[in-house]
Amino acid sequence: MKFFRSWKVRTLVFFAVVGPGFITANVDNDAGGIFTYSDAGARFGYTLLWTMIPITIALIVVQEMCARMGAVTGKGLSDLIREEFGLRITFLMMLGILITNFGNVIAEFAGIAGSLELFGVSKYISVPICAVIVWLIVVKGQYKSVEKVFLAASFFYITYIVGGVLAKPAWIEAVMATVKPPQLAAFKQDSYLYLVIAVVGTTIAPWMQFYLQSSIVEKGVTRRQYKASQLDVIVGCIFTDVVAWFIIVACAATLYLHGHHAIRDAADGAQALRPLAGDYAYILFSLGLFNASLFAASILPLSTAYTVCEGLGLESGVGRKFSEAPTFYWLYTALIAAGAAVILIPRIPLVKITVFSQVVNGAVLPFVLVFMLLLINKKELMGEYVNKPTFNIIAWATTVIMVGLTLLLIYGQLRSGTG
Amino acid sequence: MRKAEFSQPIVACQLLAGTFLISQQKCPKVTTSARPGSFIWHPHPLLSILLNMATVSLSELMGATVYDASGVACGRVREVALAPQEDRSRVALLIVKTPAGNRLLPLTAVSAINGGIRASTAAAEWAPSDGSEGLLLLSRDLLDQQVIDVHGRKVVRVNDVDFHHDCSQNRSVLRVGGVDVGARGAVRRLLKGLVPAAVLRALLLRVPPRDIPWDFVDIIETDPARRVKLKISHERLGKLHPADIADIVEDLSPDEREAVFETLDEGVAADALEELEPRVQRAVLESLDPDRAADIVEEMEPDAAADLLGDLSDERTKEILVQMQPEERQEVTDLLEFKENTAAGRMTTEYIALPVTATANDAIEAMRAFEGRMENMSTIYLTDSHGTLAGAIPLVKIVLAPSSTPLLALAQEPLISCHEGAKEKEFAELFDKYNLLTLPVIDEHSHLTGVITPDDVIAMLRSKL
Repeated sequence: MKFFRSWKVRTLVFFAVVGPGFITANVDNDAGGIFTYSDAGARFGYTLLWTMIPITIALIVVQEMCARMGAVTGKGLSDLIREEFGLRITFLMMLGILITNFGNVIAEFAGIAGSLELFGVSKYISVPICAVIVWLIVVKGQYKSVEKVFLAASFFYITYIVGGVLAKPAWIEAVMATVKPPQLAAFKQDSYLYLVIAVVGTTIAPWMQFYLQSSIVEKGVTRRQYKASQLDVIVGCIFTDVVAWFIIVACAATLYLHGHHAIRDAADGAQALRPLAGDYAYILFSLGLFNASLFAASILPLSTAYTVCEGLGLESGVGRKFSEAPTFYWLYTALIAAGAAVILIPRIPLVKITVFSQVVNGAVLPFVLVFMLLLINKKELMGEYVNKPTFNIIAWATTVIMVGLTLLLIYGQLRSGTG
Repeated sequence: MRKAEFSQPIVACQLLAGTFLISQQKCPKVTTSARPGSFIWHPHPLLSILLNMATVSLSELMGATVYDASGVACGRVREVALAPQEDRSRVALLIVKTPAGNRLLPLTAVSAINGGIRASTAAAEWAPSDGSEGLLLLSRDLLDQQVIDVHGRKVVRVNDVDFHHDCSQNRSVLRVGGVDVGARGAVRRLLKGLVPAAVLRALLLRVPPRDIPWDFVDIIETDPARRVKLKISHERLGKLHPADIADIVEDLSPDEREAVFETLDEGVAADALEELEPRVQRAVLESLDPDRAADIVEEMEPDAAADLLGDLSDERTKEILVQMQPEERQEVTDLLEFKENTAAGRMTTEYIALPVTATANDAIEAMRAFEGRMENMSTIYLTDSHGTLAGAIPLVKIVLAPSSTPLLALAQEPLISCHEGAKEKEFAELFDKYNLLTLPVIDEHSHLTGVITPDDVIAMLRSKL
C-alpha cells in the first residue's frame, strides 16, 4: 500500500512537472523547424544529419541550464539579465529578442498560410482569421485549456517517423551520415553554411530559453523538484531532435532522391509524406503544419511580450487588465498584427522568409548564451548549482562555433556581393 | 546673522545653477541673497524651502567626477550609500573610485554636488573602503531590483533613484526622495552620455514621471544578517490587507517570499499565508525554518492550518508540529486525522458553545472573551452537559434580544447540522438550502466537534469553477 502510494505520488509529480520542458520542445518543431528541416533534407540529402547529435547535446545543456536557473532563482531570464547587467544591456538584448522573435512570428503565419493553401484557402482569408483567433485565445484567458489540444495534436510528428520509415531510406547511409564528422569543404558552399546555421537556430532558438525559464518559474518548480524537470527537459529535447532527424531523412529519401532540391512552398514539403499517405500526404502534412504553426503562434508573441516587459520592468501578464499593463497588451497585439501583415504581402516567398528567420535565430543565439553562461556561473546567484565544467565547455563551444559560423556566412555574403 | 549664514553657499549654488543637468527648479538666487532688503519678491516660507531643494538622480551621480578641496579631480563616484541604522533616507557617504583604490567620502565633507562633486577635504583624508557592512548601496542594492510599492500595492522595478539636494547650508544634504519606476528614469539611463545633456533634459520633460515616494518603498533583502544590519523590516507592508500582501508575495521569487515571511509579524504572516494560492503556500512553508513556520501556523485558523500541513510532506509536517505550542498542536493534529474533502476536514474548531441555560448576556460576555475570528461568532451554539449539540442562535437575534433572554428561546428551528464524514457536496447543499451563515459538525454521538464557515465553502466551490 505504502509502495503504491509513493509510486502514485511519484507519477503525479512527474506528470505535474513534465510540462515546461516537453511543451517547449514541442513548440520547437514549429513552422520554422518543419520548413528548415525539410529544406535541409531536400537540398543536401543526408549530408546535414551530422548536425543532429551535437545539436541535441547542446540543446540539452542549454535548456537544462535555463531550467536550473529558473528553479534555483525563481526568476525569469530577462529578470536576471536586468538585475545583473543593468538597464542598457537589457534594453539592447530585448530589442534583439523582439526583432528575432518577430521573425519567428512571421514564420508561424507563413506556416498557417502555407498549410491552409494546400486546402485551397487563400492566405488573405486564413491568416487574418487565425491572427484574430490567436489573439482571442490569449486575451480571453483560454490559453491553458487550448494548450492541451495543441499538445495532443503534436503527436502528428510521429507521422514523420512513420513516413521516414516507409520512404525506405538508405538506413546505413543515413546513420553513417549522422555519426560521421562533416566534410570541411562543404562549408565553402554558402547555402550549406546558411542551412547549418538555420538548423541550429531553429532547434536551439533564443526564445526557447526565455520561455522555458519563465514556465519553470511559473510552475513553481523548486530546487527539490528540480530533478524531475531535468528529466522532462532531456526527454523533450531528445524527442524534438528525433523528429527533426526523421523530417530530414524523410525529405532526403523522397525530395532529394527525386531531384526536387528546393522547397518553395508547403506543397513541396508535403511530398515527403507521400510514401506514408500517398495522395493524402498533403492532408497529413497541412494539418500537422497548421497545428504546429498555430500552437507556436499563440506562444511566441505572448512569450515575447512577457520577456520584454519583464526585462524593462513593465507590468505584464494576462492576469492583468488592459489598462494595468498597456505596453504588454500593445506589444502582444502589434506582434501578431504585424507578423500577419507581412505574410499578406503578395507573392512573398513563404519558405525563404521562414528559413531566413531561423538563420537570424542562429545568429542571435550566442548573445543569449553568453548572458546565460555569465549568470549561471555566478556563485551568489546559483550557490552550489553553478555550472559544472563540462556544461561550461559545451555551452561556450556552442557560442564560439555559432559566432564563427555567422561571421563566416557574413564574410561569404560580402565576398560574393563584391566579387 | 542671516547674512553670515548665507554668504558662503551663494557661490556654490550659482555655480550649480549654471551647470545643473536636469533640475526642475534652478537653484535659488532669490532666497540666498546676501541683501534681503533689496528684493521685492518674498517667497512663501514653504516655497523657499522647495526652491532650496533641487533634485538629482542616482544615474547622474554615478560616475560623476569628484574634486578634492584643492579642486583636483581625484576620481569618480562608484556608489552612493545610505546607513539605514542612522538615517533611512539621508545619503551617508559616496564611494569614490580613485587611482589608489575605492575611498569613502562622507557626505558631510561634500560642499557641492552639481557640476562635479566638490569635497571640502583632501583626498588623502578619505578612508579606504572596506566592504559594505551596514551600508545600503543604492546602485547595487536598489537600481534594477524589485521593490514593493506599499502605496500602489504591487511589485515594481527600480529604474532610477531621485534625491532631494539641499543646498541652503554650507554642507550638502542629500536625501532619497523616491524611486523612479517609470519611463523617465529608463530614458535617462538609456540615453545618458549618448545625446547632449540639453537635448536629454528637454526630452525628459516630455516624459511623464512615475515616482514612488521613499516612504512607500519596501526593499526586499534575502540575506537575514544584512536585513538586521540595514534595519529592513516590512512594517508598512504588514499594514496592508492580507489579501493584498498575498498578491504582492505571489509576484516575488521564492527567496524573496521567504524573506518577507520571515520579517512580517506572525499574525499578519498567518493571515497573508491563508490568502496565498495553495501551491505558493506550500512552497513558503517548505522554505521557512520549522520554528518560524510553527509560529505562523499557530496563528492560522486550525482548519486552514490542517489543510495546509496535510499537503506538505510527512517529515515537514512533523518538524513543524513539534515546534508548535501543545494546545494548537493538538487542535491541528486532530483535524489532520480527517480527510480534507469531508465536513470534518473543512471545519474549524474555534467557535463559541455555551450551556443550554445561558442567556443573551452570557453570550455577549463569551464573545468579548473570544479570541478567534469574528466570522466564527456569527452563530452561537448551545451544548448540553455531554457536549451534545442542542441549539444554534444567530448573532443578530442575540443582539436584538433583551439581555436576560434565555438563549434556548432564540434558537433556530430546525437545528441543521452535518456529520463529520459528510461530503463537500452535502454540506454545500445545506448551506444553499437553508441560507446558513455557519454549519455545526457533529460526531457519531451527536457531540458538537466543529463549525464550517462560509469562507471554506466559497473557497471549495471556487476551486471547482
